[in-house]
Amino acid sequence: MRFQYVFSEIANGLRRNLTMTVAVVITVSISIALFGTGLLIRAQSEATKGYWYDKVEISVFMCNAYSVGANCAGGEVTDVERDTVRETLEAHPEVSEVFHETQEEAYERFTEPLDDPVAEVITPDQLQEAFRVALVDPDEYDGVVSAVAGLPGVQNVHDQREVLGPLFRLLSGFQVGAIVVAVIQVIAAALLIANTIRLAAFNRRRETGIMRLVGASNFYIQLPFILEAAIAGLIGSILGCVAVFALHEVAVSRLLAPNFTFTAWVDRGDVWMMVPWLLLTGVIISAFASFITLRRYLRV
Amino acid sequence: MIRFDNVTKVYPTQSGPALESLTMEVERGEFLFLVGPSGSGKSTFLRLVLKEERPTSGRIRVAGKDLHRLSNWKVPHLRRRIGTVFQDFRLLPNKTVFENVAFALQVIGKPRRQIARDVPAVLDLVGLDGKQDRMPDQLSGGEQQRVAVARAFVNRPLILLADEPTGNLDPATSVGIMKLLDRINRTGTTVVMATHDQSIVDQMRKRVIQLEDGRLVRDQSRGVYGYTR
Repeated sequence: MRFQYVFSEIANGLRRNLTMTVAVVITVSISIALFGTGLLIRAQSEATKGYWYDKVEISVFMCNAYSVGANCAGGEVTDVERDTVRETLEAHPEVSEVFHETQEEAYERFTEPLDDPVAEVITPDQLQEAFRVALVDPDEYDGVVSAVAGLPGVQNVHDQREVLGPLFRLLSGFQVGAIVVAVIQVIAAALLIANTIRLAAFNRRRETGIMRLVGASNFYIQLPFILEAAIAGLIGSILGCVAVFALHEVAVSRLLAPNFTFTAWVDRGDVWMMVPWLLLTGVIISAFASFITLRRYLRV
Repeated sequence: MIRFDNVTKVYPTQSGPALESLTMEVERGEFLFLVGPSGSGKSTFLRLVLKEERPTSGRIRVAGKDLHRLSNWKVPHLRRRIGTVFQDFRLLPNKTVFENVAFALQVIGKPRRQIARDVPAVLDLVGLDGKQDRMPDQLSGGEQQRVAVARAFVNRPLILLADEPTGNLDPATSVGIMKLLDRINRTGTTVVMATHDQSIVDQMRKRVIQLEDGRLVRDQSRGVYGYTR
């Protein structure tokens, strides 16, 4: 293998097809940037879930003297009913911890923020005692809710996860959107690469014809073309990664994170984790597209 | 060296076969003229030897290899044992004479040392010593064809295929090329030359195979061109 020949061929090829090479680089960079954005949203989604799910719990509110509802027909919750609920929760495999909150504790928590005029008129017996339940897997709340919802003395069961639902749906919607556009772009990039390589193969048909004739191996004939596409793909992917870093810097680090401090945000380390995958995707797609093209246009 | 056994080649886009039930053999070291009008199957014959085409039916053996059984990735190795020369020379215009010949060795991965040794030797053989730094467009047609022959022969192939090598040359220059091919043949290389050039065939008195509409109509040792166009 004579590398000097291979590399001079690559340099020539990239130069001769400059406009097409630029088109390939741009298309690959856009598709990689979108793909990276999809991954970024996914990472953000995971970070948000991780942050919030640690705090998510199920609240089981017990009946008080004023409660209405089928399970509260007996008025305020009795000791027996309370114990049954506690035992049911503690025996459930998806439950990791159970805290009991009395009416007085609820009142303290309620009146904690000062200057709340409502706190002046409320009394502990108007509030509900409750069990705060932490789950082993926050996604598996259904079983726990249905296990206690129907028990006597339980006024209602409140799942905080329902509050976060729309946020996660929004995030996954963005993620799907970014990935779909990225896939369309990748297809466009692959077609563009195929065309560029076909043009390059046509430009060099005299050389490749002689190479075939004197018995150069297919690998040797195709290598410069494949490397040419891979290099264009690599440059495009690097630009795409730069775009993802820029997006992260502007959208997350400068805009979102300082203003919404109550939740977790993806950091630059998460973006670095994506870089190898983005580069690999860009290079492999380019090399593969050119390989497939060459199989058709540079046959033995 | 080359053996065709009942070989038929039909191109999908053509009505009649390009070659029909051709059986023939070329011995090692032979010099063979392939004559016949355009479209008689001469080029198809050469392409079949190179395995650029596959026969529709029949068997072909080249240099001891059954082409039917030869897998695709081994075809380059077959072609390294066959040199090919064309009517239109097919030189690379942006490379010097030396580089054009060296190209054939470079792309099959030969070491630089061997290239430095073999290329000047073959340029000397074809009578181009001293012109190795010229560009193809600075050479006459005959000289360009000598470069093409040098490129085909530099790897010392067992077989040299020539497809109308004198087709673009004047008669005097053609004689020079024929002498060169004859010299190459005397080194033990089998030469198969497809041609329309009546005077050359008549002068050389080598074996002649005549094709017409894909069929072998004459196989004559020390033959002449034998028909008029």
